[in-house]
Amino acid sequence: MNRLARAILRLYPPTWRDRYGPELDDLVAHRRMRIRDIADLLAGAIDARLHPQLAGPMRLAAAAQAPPAAVLPVPAPAPPPAFGPAGPLPQATLTRRSFMRRMLGVGIGILSLEFLGGTLAFLWPPPAEGIGVEHRVGTPREIIGISPEWATGRPWEFRPARAFLVNVAAAKAMAMGEQLEVTDPAASGILALWRKCPHLGCMIPTACETRSRFQCLCHQSTYNIIGEKLQLGPAPRGMDRFPVRIDQDGFVIVDTRELIKGPPTGSVTFHDPYPIDVGCA
Amino acid sequence: MSDDLGDLGRFAEPSLLILVSLGAGPRHGYGIMADVEDIGGARLGPGTLYAALARLEARGLIESLPSEDRRRPYRITALGVRTLRARLAGLDELVRTGLTRLDSPTEL
Repeated sequence: MNRLARAILRLYPPTWRDRYGPELDDLVAHRRMRIRDIADLLAGAIDARLHPQLAGPMRLAAAAQAPPAAVLPVPAPAPPPAFGPAGPLPQATLTRRSFMRRMLGVGIGILSLEFLGGTLAFLWPPPAEGIGVEHRVGTPREIIGISPEWATGRPWEFRPARAFLVNVAAAKAMAMGEQLEVTDPAASGILALWRKCPHLGCMIPTACETRSRFQCLCHQSTYNIIGEKLQLGPAPRGMDRFPVRIDQDGFVIVDTRELIKGPPTGSVTFHDPYPIDVGCA
Repeated sequence: MSDDLGDLGRFAEPSLLILVSLGAGPRHGYGIMADVEDIGGARLGPGTLYAALARLEARGLIESLPSEDRRRPYRITALGVRTLRARLAGLDELVRTGLTRLDSPTEL
């Protein structure tokens, strides 16, 4: 570790090492270095490169026997020739080089921050407030109050659970092209189909009006109106679903603490009038 | 006249600890590091220590003495003493205000 620390000292700029190098090297050589001292030295090297003016000419105490060099008259710098190579650069606080260097540092810093932020955001668990709890949706009449077409079979998206509530009898009739109004389905007559496609997890959009089927936009996995997987698309099974029950007050309860896997591909119990191997289009 | 340590950013606290340490007399880097740990400050990393030393020196709050075998002692300057006094007085006032407020339960 100490060897690593001493190697890091080489990252300090030359002027800094002229001034502080020997004593810092001595300190590093005589103290047990830990991993955070390494990080600290790295940060110090970056700091020293960002602030080169800090390691200025040595200012020895007045008591020192050596005459202070700063007192000696400094010859005025000759004016740079009008043409040809410029003379020695004046000691500006911010030269082009230090500006470029600083901007490079800032750029690298921003880039690393973005990278770090992106990595953290990727590792962060996705927000799933609505999953893992029991949802008290409302009575079937209240659902119809919000979405009148639910009574005639159009699935209604219950957003908190990210599920489509399907009024099964009416939905089957709608898919067959018939008209059936069910205003008070039993719990067994309601499906809560999770919108997450069992293939790769894409969000399945609303059932299409053309064929009353669900079709995932990612890979065209196609499901009938009760979430059974039809032939088209790579999904291994039908849409997953949550248990549904109706409590003593008549409220539809969707329990997202439990997930029921969709029926496997090939076990289709409901056939709408369209070919089994096509999607919505 | 005294200097202000507040604009030193993340080096303000290490700088204060260094000045306190040098208040007892000249020390070199290693000695400052050990002393700061003794007086209960956080462990100063070597990079932080020298970054703070360079800033203090550039501001004339400390000065370096002739090197003794690679170890260079630092000494607090008159400006450094005034700055340290002002800063400590400010902290003292903060401490007393805080304690007074804690002791008067009417506000709680």
